[in-house]
Amino acid sequence: MKKIIAMLLVLSMALALAACGGSAAPAATEAPKADAPAATSAPAAPAADGKVTVTMIAAQYGPKTGDWWVDFEQKFEAANDGIDLVVDCVSWNDIYTVVNTRIANGQAPDLLNIDVFADYQADGLLLPAEDWCSAETYAKFYQAFLDQSVVDGVVWAVPDLASARAMYYNKDILAEAGVEVPTTWEELTAACKTIKEKCPDIYPWGIDMTTDEGQAAFAYYTWGNGGGFVDDNGEWILNCAENVAAVEYAVGLVKDGLTNSDPANNTRYDLQDLFCAGKLAMMIAPNALSAQAGEAGVNYGFAAIPNNSGTSVSAGVMDRIMCFDNGQSAEQMAAITAVVDAFYDDEPYSEWVLMEGFLPATSAGGEACAAADPAMGAWIDIVGSAKFYPTAKAEWADVKQGVIDVEQQALLGEDVQTLLDNLQAEIAG
Amino acid sequence: MKQHKPYNLLNKAEPYLWILPSVILMAIFIIVPIGFVFRMAFSQVTKAGLVKGFCGFANFSKVLQGAKFGMVLKNTIIWTILVVVLSTVLGFILALLLNNEFKGRKIARAIVVFPWATTLVIQASVWKFIINTDYGALNTLLKSLGIIQQNVNWTPTPEAFFGWEIACGIFVTIPFVCFTALSGLQSIDASYYEAATVDGASYFQKLWNITLPLVKPSLTVATVLNIIYVFNSFPIVWTITKGDPASRTDTLVTYLYKLAFYNGKQGEAAAVSVIGFLILLVCASVYMVSTLKKGDE
Repeated sequence: MKKIIAMLLVLSMALALAACGGSAAPAATEAPKADAPAATSAPAAPAADGKVTVTMIAAQYGPKTGDWWVDFEQKFEAANDGIDLVVDCVSWNDIYTVVNTRIANGQAPDLLNIDVFADYQADGLLLPAEDWCSAETYAKFYQAFLDQSVVDGVVWAVPDLASARAMYYNKDILAEAGVEVPTTWEELTAACKTIKEKCPDIYPWGIDMTTDEGQAAFAYYTWGNGGGFVDDNGEWILNCAENVAAVEYAVGLVKDGLTNSDPANNTRYDLQDLFCAGKLAMMIAPNALSAQAGEAGVNYGFAAIPNNSGTSVSAGVMDRIMCFDNGQSAEQMAAITAVVDAFYDDEPYSEWVLMEGFLPATSAGGEACAAADPAMGAWIDIVGSAKFYPTAKAEWADVKQGVIDVEQQALLGEDVQTLLDNLQAEIAG
Repeated sequence: MKQHKPYNLLNKAEPYLWILPSVILMAIFIIVPIGFVFRMAFSQVTKAGLVKGFCGFANFSKVLQGAKFGMVLKNTIIWTILVVVLSTVLGFILALLLNNEFKGRKIARAIVVFPWATTLVIQASVWKFIINTDYGALNTLLKSLGIIQQNVNWTPTPEAFFGWEIACGIFVTIPFVCFTALSGLQSIDASYYEAATVDGASYFQKLWNITLPLVKPSLTVATVLNIIYVFNSFPIVWTITKGDPASRTDTLVTYLYKLAFYNGKQGEAAAVSVIGFLILLVCASVYMVSTLKKGDE
């Protein structure tokens, strides 16, 4: 009898497991059909209590991001009785995997806050911004920011925040070495040599050519030499003469011993730590370094990135909010628009941007942030004139990894011209 | 007799029913995901992760024609062989030492477990901190001892970096080999050694003719498992170098991770995964069959 009971238990367990497997596993890789993405994704369905549900995945920028979104959800739902807002705050480490898995499962969120959009747009998963962003909110964005999310003349995402880069320098080290803040490459090289000579324990210049952010180094030097990723027509110009000279210049600084010891492995965060420890004289960094350096008691200043073309260009980085085409009804679209309007309302939006320590993407937000923090004003001017990575182009992921690889191979002694020629051929054909 | 037939049938089926849950769990959590990886490897996958249909061997040919695949495969083989061989030798020697009676043996055994019991990411981070040029513990120690005056760059080349990663891999693998070998050593009957001693056998003769043959089954299992673990190890290389510079320290696993999550080429990443799976399958099978055959002989 005991045996029969035991076997029945085993059988029931097996059946239960089989049932679990049967429903969950195959669904995990079912892809929406290419021609009908709307039909296979989960729409913003009416909740059981008759409310319209809006789902959102938000990137976690810092330790307070999750709590801020919980508070926003509560306030929004209190003010909008018929809408159930569900925000999942996901860390940057996991967000791409989470989003891709949800898309593959046919459970794309209604709204997504992330940095890239071109891959989702290329698969026909997104709705144009004007379909879900009210005219009032749309008018708030800096035009230069909106331009970064245009494909085929359509804006597919709106900016949520930005950061810009400038050259930070340690005033005490520069004073000890008796050098002025460099504005050109020539002055930079001379300043680095003097610092190395007079302060041998200090790294004069910080360069990050790691997998983390090596593309930023490529941008700083090529933009500062009149080159860049694309020309005015948006065509890839990775192997242009200006880019070759720029990479050779940056690698030359490393080979002359004027930089941190291992640019292929020292990330920007490592460099920021060195800067705050007073071991690095100058580096290019985002505005977030101000707070870190201030706390560390470093006597710092920031200035335009030194260049070789007569025009200093700051590198801008921008994140976005986009809306997935989940076959939403008019009522659901109105709910999504209400969420977006509430987020970009001047007061909560400024509070959010200041909390995260980034730069606002709306003019009203910019004014509010500048009023709240005078140091922010200079940064808002910098970001207004910044250049951005060509993230709207479908090849961007390959270009990004490609230029990092070029830099790292150049550090190992390979020929820059050949490397960039190969990359250009691989990307542009 | 006839009345006992259903009972006999049930009796025969019973063992299979007992292992059924394990088989089902393995099917769900091992075979099904492997099947999906194979499916992805033969499919066109968009950067947003959508599977767009069968593409034959296109992902495999792109991977094999890639400039870096050969170098990454070579790195993986060097990494696996050096870590497995050296950790097996050192782990076995450590097991021999810990098998002796001495004061504080229990504490020594506990200390040996530490590297194994600590998360690999933490281990790798600590190693990275130790060898750091600017604020590393190694430079600080050597400077305070007066051995060096200036900070030394312990990782001037990609090969040096890879060497440190291999050292870290050996360090964290030794405890597993050590304890597997120790369990084998403790099961050897002391009378064999007594008889050998009476016959006048030396230490190395006993080691070679008694210890090694009797510990061999334990070491075989440890080696096969280690080949699989080390070949697929991700945290050490990723934490210390992320495969940089220019993939010179990449292994297949870090390479496919970059392909999937940095380049958005999930189909090609799945193809690399399948290639790794097949290599492991062949290596582990050949090693196991040859070792067990020799054992039978």
